[in-house]
Amino acid sequence: MPDEVSAVRQSIRELLREQHGGDRFVSTVSDSESLRQAGMSSNALVALLVAMEDAFGFEWDDDVHPEALRSIESLADHVVALRG
Amino acid sequence: MVVEPAVPAHTAAGMRTAWRPVRPPYGPHQQSTAGRRAAAAALAAAGAADRTVPGDPDGRPRFPPGFAGSISHTDRLAVAVVVPGAAAVGVDIECAAISPRVARFVLSERERHTLLPPAGTCTPRELFSAKEAAFKALNGIGTGGHFLFWKIELSQSGDALTAFYGGATVPVWIRSAEDISFAVAIQR
Repeated sequence: MPDEVSAVRQSIRELLREQHGGDRFVSTVSDSESLRQAGMSSNALVALLVAMEDAFGFEWDDDVHPEALRSIESLADHVVALRG
Repeated sequence: MVVEPAVPAHTAAGMRTAWRPVRPPYGPHQQSTAGRRAAAAALAAAGAADRTVPGDPDGRPRFPPGFAGSISHTDRLAVAVVVPGAAAVGVDIECAAISPRVARFVLSERERHTLLPPAGTCTPRELFSAKEAAFKALNGIGTGGHFLFWKIELSQSGDALTAFYGGATVPVWIRSAEDISFAVAIQR
């Protein structure tokens, strides 16, 4: 499980690198830091969520809790939990 | 003034808007500073003695009592709106294009069919901005705790949009120039 979480976090970082201006943002944001408070726009966050649907093969539930979208850590935990 | 929605006089009484550029290197710190400067300018124009806008622990700006306000920024530009006596204000500016996929994500099927052309006249960027502005205003009146801004539902209501969430409504006005969309939601 720890390896899976780590791999998903790394994949999310790759998506962020593609979606959000290269290395500048990804190299400074920690796994647990709020992406929005780190300077990510709502448009960029939604673009990341859409890219995650394609990359990980799922769709976000309508009732997903906002806290799940807070950070790289919480996003990765959500993906791993969906995989069961 | 870059661009500003035409808010009706009875709603916009005393409304003040201020813009400030984001300085290089255009990072989160510079964006936040530009937003606070815009807020101070809008508060000054509105007649507030206290022109400081500290941040709550969750990052939301806390305007002085009696001067409801809101801040938004892109990576190059910040805006603040203050409406004395309003219950809550939400403002948003967007410069980036909204991709069709992102539009499908944040807009319901009903919203796409009624508000986007050919049935409607709004652009995806304006509707995205309207939901963000409404989200800030609805949070300002304590609606529903934690929720996601795209869960807000929009409908056309005359010259404005009406935003709905959790039994609460707020009117939203939008205006665009070529490279920017501006939305403001005001709860009187």
